[in-house]
Amino acid sequence: MYRMRLPPWLVLLMPAFVILLAVIAIPLVLSLYSSFTAFQLTRPETISKWIGTFNYEKAMGDANFWAAFGRTVLLLTVALNLEMLLGLGLALMVAKVTRGQRLLRTMMMFPMMFSPILVGFQFKFIFNDNVGLLNNALQSLGLSDVAIPWLVDGNLAFIAIVTAEVWTSTSVFAILILAGLFAIPQDPVEAARVDGCTPWQTFRYVTLPFLMPFIYIAMAIRSLDVARAYDIVQVMTAGGPARRTELLWTLIGRTGYVDARMGYANAMGYIAILLSILFTVYFFRKLTTARTSLGMGG
Amino acid sequence: MDQGRSHRIRRRLLRAGHFIGLFLAMAAICLPGLWVVLNSFRPTVEIMAKPPVWIPTELNLDNYRAMFGGIGEGGVPVLTYFRNSLVISLTSTVIALLVGMAGGYAFARYRIPGKSAIFVGLMVTRAVPGVALSLPLFILYGRLGIIDTHFGMILVYVALNVPFTIWLIDGFFRQVPKELAEAAEIDGCTRWQAFWKVEFPVARAGIASAGIFAFLTSWNEYALASQLTRSLNSKTMPVGLMDFTSQFTLNWGGMCALAVLMILPALVLTFLVQKHLIAGLTFGGVKG
Amino acid sequence: MKTFAASSTLALLAGLGLASVALAEGEFAGITIDAKLIGGQQYEALYARIPEWEAKTGAKVNIVSQKNHFELDKEFKADIAAGSITWCVGSNHSSFAPQYPALYTDLTPLVPAETVAGFVGANIAAATLDGKLVMLPRAQFDVSALYYQKSLYADPARAEAFKAEYGYDLAVPETWDQFRDQAMFFADPPNFYGTQYAGKEEGIAGRFYELVVANGGKLFNDDFSPAFNSPEGKMALQWFVDLYKAGAVPPGTTNYLWDDLGNGFASGTIALNLDWPGWSGFFNDPSASKVAGNVGVAPAPKGAAGVRTGWSGFHGFSVTEACANKEAAASLVDFLTNEDSQKLESAAGPLPTRTAVWDHVIAQAASDPYKAEVLAAFQETAKTAFPVPKTPYWIEASNLIYPELQAAILGDKTVDEALQTASDAVDGLMRENGVY
Repeated sequence: MYRMRLPPWLVLLMPAFVILLAVIAIPLVLSLYSSFTAFQLTRPETISKWIGTFNYEKAMGDANFWAAFGRTVLLLTVALNLEMLLGLGLALMVAKVTRGQRLLRTMMMFPMMFSPILVGFQFKFIFNDNVGLLNNALQSLGLSDVAIPWLVDGNLAFIAIVTAEVWTSTSVFAILILAGLFAIPQDPVEAARVDGCTPWQTFRYVTLPFLMPFIYIAMAIRSLDVARAYDIVQVMTAGGPARRTELLWTLIGRTGYVDARMGYANAMGYIAILLSILFTVYFFRKLTTARTSLGMGG
Repeated sequence: MDQGRSHRIRRRLLRAGHFIGLFLAMAAICLPGLWVVLNSFRPTVEIMAKPPVWIPTELNLDNYRAMFGGIGEGGVPVLTYFRNSLVISLTSTVIALLVGMAGGYAFARYRIPGKSAIFVGLMVTRAVPGVALSLPLFILYGRLGIIDTHFGMILVYVALNVPFTIWLIDGFFRQVPKELAEAAEIDGCTRWQAFWKVEFPVARAGIASAGIFAFLTSWNEYALASQLTRSLNSKTMPVGLMDFTSQFTLNWGGMCALAVLMILPALVLTFLVQKHLIAGLTFGGVKG
Repeated sequence: MKTFAASSTLALLAGLGLASVALAEGEFAGITIDAKLIGGQQYEALYARIPEWEAKTGAKVNIVSQKNHFELDKEFKADIAAGSITWCVGSNHSSFAPQYPALYTDLTPLVPAETVAGFVGANIAAATLDGKLVMLPRAQFDVSALYYQKSLYADPARAEAFKAEYGYDLAVPETWDQFRDQAMFFADPPNFYGTQYAGKEEGIAGRFYELVVANGGKLFNDDFSPAFNSPEGKMALQWFVDLYKAGAVPPGTTNYLWDDLGNGFASGTIALNLDWPGWSGFFNDPSASKVAGNVGVAPAPKGAAGVRTGWSGFHGFSVTEACANKEAAASLVDFLTNEDSQKLESAAGPLPTRTAVWDHVIAQAASDPYKAEVLAAFQETAKTAFPVPKTPYWIEASNLIYPELQAAILGDKTVDEALQTASDAVDGLMRENGVY
């Protein structure tokens, strides 16, 4: 009879709580603890060697760490905004199509079928400077007579990674925004047209505000998922050359597993998780505001 | 007259622009993917050729034949990987949906103290990167003896997908008027019956859309799977891709062939449910 | 579940009909050996022999993990960390082995001395860490020799132009200085490059290491303090920088790893290529390579000190310290590296680590001039080959060194600055770990 005293919402949420606690929270506590130790994988006894905030101080004072941090923020900002704009454009175009839309929608989601690890290899070969698809195409078309080092030059490598990232993830934005377009009530749009608004004005002042919540949802979901970019970047450049494309995830992965310095890696990981949380909370706030302004709060 | 014609011309131009834009966008989306599919039918010498071979002179099934071949002849236990992937992805998706339905229903229908905080708290569990999670999880799994088992992988993927399914399904239940369920209860249904007979059918589309996202996430995940699987017992297809690499070599054609086998089922599934997907997202997301 | 998988694996292997009939001694009847073996097409053919060992000894082998070496390395580290070393036999590699000093047991008391004597002496020396023989090498020995396009040396006009420019005859390079001259001479970007090198991770660190040694220098002093910030080290790094600056290598080379190199040379756009033996078949296979029929192979060139480069490594099998049945495990390791096993593996191309098998493969290749050339070049290079520095911190140190090498190659730093930074970082690492 004890169970009856639990509020029903708690009973319903209990499975979710239990699973997330077991699979995410407990391991995280473990790694939080190890971030205060000199834990090295190959010498398990080091996990009991408490060194306080040494790892955190080391990360804070490490120029390479901050460079990777800044680059990760930049990548998130550029990639998310590009995906949003391209996704919006794509959704608007697909929404206008009346015949064969079902096929188009499936095609639009094609990149989502590709495992990030595969996308990494795929774009590594496409951007190869010597035998890569892109340079071959540019040279065959006579647009370039040099081998462009896509994955080596600092800016180009960043562009290459953003391209791979945008290619895989624009679909998520497009599909969510497309859903938003179908949900827009027709009355305000009609009213705007009758009032003599140009198509641009209609879009800007009627359609777009309705779409904003969808856009923020996509942003929030994507900002949760960008850590998956690890696979892509690891395969394409592994953070190199000369740390030019180093992101937090590649740095942490290498420190933790290759160098076996798990304690230090976890300390950097915790700083990285804070970053993800900030992005997520930011977009969640935006979402709530957008909903409230549409009178859909709740 | 003149005005009418210029109007017509403008409309035609717009239509042409729309068509060209759509065509270019679809090309950008599909070509890098189709390139992978094409490579799976080509010998490596042509894929990596310079000067490039634009029109394939030879298409064959060698990569596929090798993949299904025996050990030592380039064979990879594809069917086992496929079965593992399918079992793990489907089971974890179904469980994540059930857990998500319960959670989403709770958020949609009950007053919960500190609701937004709990909600955001659930969401950020997804933000934890696989790299940071894999080692402690490995140690934990090691203690429990569930490394390299389907059960272990299913558990991880359920945890990975629950936050998102709760989010989508929550929004969807909100869409169903409370009165509908109440009316059913007045008609003599229990709350349980009312849920299945009234609220669930309306929410079906939302559940389908949450399902496809959950399935694709599990189907394609690599970072955690590479840590928690070891042998034929549970290795999934993304991990199997790495069978085509050795210390110094990489068989890109073979990798593409396995990739095609990974993409096909996902594509078929998406095509089947994408109608529900749009409908599901339409209501599910916004009415948060 | 596990036993089911094991028996189905067995059924699979037995079904291939490769399990030959052997004497059922039943020496280890009832014992099950859990093994973590490297996976991948190149390595798995050998495992088809396992049923033969099982039939002979009565023991069973249960393969509990099968992945590529980098993933396996991660798994070993995680196992050590989690204290979950419940398995007996593991694939090992000479470059990774120093990282797990306590994981594997000394095989000396477990295998007969005459067995050990059958291996190439240098390989056994490289497999011995702190006096412990931690693994027996399988026929997967790797050292790099020089692959080149033969046609480049058959054109009199080209030879004349070369002599006019550099003052000596154009011939396959014997020193790294000649190699640099010729790479610059042959280069015609973006369609053709003089050479290429692995530009990241252990690839560039290893190449730098072997060039330092070939120039007469050392990477580490005897106490493992860094010794590469020396004239020899600077000369070695300068070599990479010169080639990059002159455009003699593809501009993306700093992001290349081994597969990019192999595909690059096979595409016919690279003149000279220092590469591993595993590619020899691939390069000369018309269905895989555009240079098939035009591939020459020569021993690795020499550095300023007259020493050949020879950074080498090999795969092998080890027995864990935690293993309950060390004799049975060692017997399996012995079996997987014995003459028949090595003959089976080396028939597909990889180089053996047993003296008798070297003789065997050379005799086998007598009728195949290309294969004979390959073997001669690699055997000559193998004579003076050397393994990675035997410190547990080699991988970590190389991770500190390589970004600095890349920075110098790409022009972000000067050679002096880069080596100074790398040297300081490695020094810090060694001190932090209490090495000295």
